[in-house]
Amino acid sequence: MRRSSGAAAGGAARAGRWRRFVKGGGVELLLLILGILILWSVISRIIPNPDRYLPSPLSVVLSSYDVIWKGLLPNYIGQTLWRLVVGSVIGLGLGIPFGIALGLNRTVSDMFYPIMNFFQSISGIAILPIIVVWWGNSEKTVFAVILYTCFFPITFNVLTGVRSTPMILVNALRTLGASRLRIVKDVLIPSAMPHIATGARLGIGYAWRAVIAGEMLAGRRGLGWMIFTSQDADLTAQVILGMLLIGAIWIMIDRFALRPIEADTIQRWGLVQR
Amino acid sequence: MSVLQAAAIGLQKRFGRQRLRKIMLGAVPFIVLLVLWRMNTALEWLPPVFIPPIASIREAIYTLSEGCAGLGGALSMQYECMFTNHIFSSLGRVGLSLVIGIPFGIAFGVLAGMSRRFAHALEPIGVFANAISGIAWVPLAIVWFGTGWLTTLFILLNTVFWLVFFNTLLGVRGVPRAYENSVLTLGGGKWAVISQVYVPGALPSIVTGIRMSMGFGWRALIAAEMIGGDSGLGFMIFVSAAEYKIEEVFLGVLVIAVIWMITDRLLLIPLEKWTIQRWGMVWRPS
Repeated sequence: MRRSSGAAAGGAARAGRWRRFVKGGGVELLLLILGILILWSVISRIIPNPDRYLPSPLSVVLSSYDVIWKGLLPNYIGQTLWRLVVGSVIGLGLGIPFGIALGLNRTVSDMFYPIMNFFQSISGIAILPIIVVWWGNSEKTVFAVILYTCFFPITFNVLTGVRSTPMILVNALRTLGASRLRIVKDVLIPSAMPHIATGARLGIGYAWRAVIAGEMLAGRRGLGWMIFTSQDADLTAQVILGMLLIGAIWIMIDRFALRPIEADTIQRWGLVQR
Repeated sequence: MSVLQAAAIGLQKRFGRQRLRKIMLGAVPFIVLLVLWRMNTALEWLPPVFIPPIASIREAIYTLSEGCAGLGGALSMQYECMFTNHIFSSLGRVGLSLVIGIPFGIAFGVLAGMSRRFAHALEPIGVFANAISGIAWVPLAIVWFGTGWLTTLFILLNTVFWLVFFNTLLGVRGVPRAYENSVLTLGGGKWAVISQVYVPGALPSIVTGIRMSMGFGWRALIAAEMIGGDSGLGFMIFVSAAEYKIEEVFLGVLVIAVIWMITDRLLLIPLEKWTIQRWGMVWRPS
């Protein structure tokens, strides 16, 4: 009796999930993926020398066997993710307080706005050669580039967020006799929250690109390094495998971590009346 | 003294008091940075191999374009005028990718905005193509096209097309149905709906997409030129760094920043503001 009811509940849950899957366009997505795979294998059948130009999906999957078996692939993914996480955590930890500090005073923020804009417009990749000259192809180089890429968008957004706080709210607290610290804690930070979340997402997005590019150019092991060296070694199947992994990992980070956080923050703090 | 006062009053009249204050305040960090840089050369905190003297950066322009026959030679892209050639080469690619990418992006975006099935097919591909950040395409592009023009153009197009496509799609979806229906009721055809309703309605979103795609594309272009290019500013930086000519690297980075700030400030932001002013205040029936 208990078992059957459990099975029925499980079946109902499965049916609900299935309905949501169909409604959300899941079937079309599956068909699309299937279509692309078929098209891909047909093209790789037709063209000459497919191993070099476009290996079939099957050989891409098979090429993963070698790197997984040697334990290289998990190692690469781990290293790339570790760089992204450490780099962006340091970037957030430095950028948010710095942005708030700059935004507190109108004179200071007017002073630093143009120079932040200037440094933001130099991409981290462009300064990578300079850092390579300074520190060589070391781990420090890659971290410096990641930090540079995510620090400036985050700080810039936090600065904008703090500056766009309505003065009326600050003045209201001031009339009630609040201290400076209190104003920062209860008005400026909450009202800058949506900007902070957007800046964090933007900064981490830039950082992800910087990780891949930095690994390629500075020659540190990771996913970017893998696709770069595989291209040199004429292993196109591994290049495509690496690209698919890079895309899939970013979609997962963005969908399951960054976007929900941003949406929640905007929902929680964003509806301030201006 | 009175000359100084007159100059101060003249400047205030010319720019306005608040703007003058902002400009002068904003200049302070730049001046401090320049002074620090100059002091570094004079006091030798860091060797010139790491931070080149300011004067050597100006000289790098001359060494790069040695044997160049003046302005005419630069414009006709003589081989000797390397400095201007690299700039033109980068800018040319950006221009070409915009000329190709924007019309296609808008066309596909409008199509996808009109047909749900088309959108369902293109959207996941676009999401994935955007997630494989521009630079990760470089190795595959090198296999397909070799190093050079086509590879870098491919990377840029890849960035520009999908961002313009997505923003057009968003814009078209945001256009209220009532407008489409009213044009149809008045006897307009499909084409009239597209040209009178969808494209003007989506224009603010499209322009934002163009600005965004330029931001991402410019970064991707520099990276692509470093790895898979044979000309352009990114290539120049990379080669100079390999030869330890750090003053050329600094020069390249400064040029990249200045070009981007000029395009963003004088072209893209005014364009965006103008479009939003002209087309953005659409009355939305609730």
